[in-house]
Amino acid sequence: MIEAELIEKKIAKDYGFFKFKLHKKLKSPDAGQFIMLKALDEPILAKPFSIYSYKNKNLTLFIKRVGRLTGKIFSSPIGETFYIRGPYGTPYIEKINKGRKYILIGGGSGIAPLNFFSELYPELVYKKLYGFREKYIRELFEEEEQSTLVIEEESGKTVVDIFREVYSEELGILACGPIPMLRNLPHDSYVSLESVMGCGIGTCKSCAVKTKEGIKMVCKDGPLFRKEEIQWEWI
Amino acid sequence: MGVDLSVEILGLTFKNPLVLASGPAGFGFELQQYLDISRIGAITLKTITLNPREGNAPPRLVDTHGGIINSIGLQNPGIKEFVRTIAPRLKNLKTIKIGSIAGFTTEEWKILGEEMDKIKEIKAIELDLSCPNVEGKRIWAKDEELTQEAIKAVRESTDRPIIAKLAPDVTDIVKVAKKAVNAGADALSIGNTIEAMKINIETGLPVLKLKTGGLSGPAIKPITLARVFRVAEALEVPIIGIGGVMNWQDALEYAMAGASLIGIGTAIMVDPQAPLEILHGIESFLRQKGIEKFEDIIGIAHRGGF
Ligand SMILES: Cc1cc2nc3c(=O)[nH]c(=O)nc-3n(C[C@H](O)[C@H](O)[C@H](O)COP(=O)(O)O)c2cc1C
Ligand code: FES
Repeated sequence: MIEAELIEKKIAKDYGFFKFKLHKKLKSPDAGQFIMLKALDEPILAKPFSIYSYKNKNLTLFIKRVGRLTGKIFSSPIGETFYIRGPYGTPYIEKINKGRKYILIGGGSGIAPLNFFSELYPELVYKKLYGFREKYIRELFEEEEQSTLVIEEESGKTVVDIFREVYSEELGILACGPIPMLRNLPHDSYVSLESVMGCGIGTCKSCAVKTKEGIKMVCKDGPLFRKEEIQWEWI
Repeated sequence: MGVDLSVEILGLTFKNPLVLASGPAGFGFELQQYLDISRIGAITLKTITLNPREGNAPPRLVDTHGGIINSIGLQNPGIKEFVRTIAPRLKNLKTIKIGSIAGFTTEEWKILGEEMDKIKEIKAIELDLSCPNVEGKRIWAKDEELTQEAIKAVRESTDRPIIAKLAPDVTDIVKVAKKAVNAGADALSIGNTIEAMKINIETGLPVLKLKTGGLSGPAIKPITLARVFRVAEALEVPIIGIGGVMNWQDALEYAMAGASLIGIGTAIMVDPQAPLEILHGIESFLRQKGIEKFEDIIGIAHRGGF
């Protein structure tokens, strides 16, 4: 595993940006890929995190506090060492139709891979919609990103409502976020799934998703799937 | 002076005592990109059943203090597909391959044994008698008569060495072990995951879709280690010690308790490179102690220690 030193953090309640300096380069990480991150001791397993940004051994993650490991990351002082392996997962670009422009729809921490996508492939991005419930989230984002934020508490509308207002059929859809959000998108959307992962590399069979072609592994075959491939009732 | 890590059991020479335990390493092919499997003593392939199995609905995994609880549910393509598409690729894994099977009936055990017997690359067959993660499936190893029945069925269908993978959570593992050996098992894997669960107190519901699962990782090591010790004390049979081996110290404990080979499951999921660090650690330890052969420390805890 690669040592990763926490060098910057910016937190607002349950969300935060965390920047790590890696002691070794990641092998050409691409948008939609994730890394497995581990603390020294508990919990035992490494957990997957999408790459928000990666430059010169600097890795930025956008994390929601949900459990033991994320709790630990939130409370860690600058200088703390974590361990990272990856990147894993199929890059979005290998799965999508490159002849289209995309609306990127993110919900909560699901905005992370979309941000990396817009960093690497700006020419494929039509518009970004980053959905959150509460307005405190604005503190975390720079001036130029403020207009991409869709905040339910402010407008009374969800990111899917706003999406419907701006969508037209020649556009592609690339989404990552909570299941109910993904379910509300049109059939031909590309959706990036989350799953409980063990290995992250396709061996342990922890991250199963049922598709029209049978069981697939989110970590290896995904995380991106076409919405219509997925048997949603199984999730 | 180099240290000799090789182990000779079951008529096979394992280049070192580490075995990738059935499950976490899959069929080895995905893992191969991240771990040079040729450096590991053996790999036990993911358990195969007669019919294909999708496995359980997610979530299939949750962590807990000192371990993880999984309920994968034996996801596998079934024996036909295994023979057709996986078996021909096995020669690309440059280590000893141990096949793993699980029957639901005595007849199934027999068929699975016969099918595995046809695959040249499979040097030994492990009977997964102890997977706790299949709804409605009996855990054969929790009943000595059933254990005996399954082993006999496979014994009749193959001359390959057979390994019975026992459950650590039984009242008297020595009794089950004796039955297994009498029925024709050439070696014992001790053990498997231990039935466990987690409840989400916000929803008031079990976290895993199957409700319960199997605990693996550091939390089970002292429990399984004691079982290995007990069986090694009572029987002259090669033992593969499996359960919570996360580092070289854990591996040495199993060897000292009487395990000839040491299985690694959860640690591979945490870090696919972990087995190499474990090997390196075992080697340095032996060198420091001035021990030339790994086999000399097997069961040393029964012989008054160093
Ligand atoms: C995700 C996962 C899948 C497993 N699948 C199997 C299996 O198919 N067959 C089997 O005999 N054991 C299976 N096991 C059990 C392991 O082989 C091993 O006995 C157990 O995990 C204890 O070792 P550990 O603490 O090193 O993980 C599985 C364990 C895990 C964690
Ligand atoms: S996390 Fe292990 S197979 Fe996907």
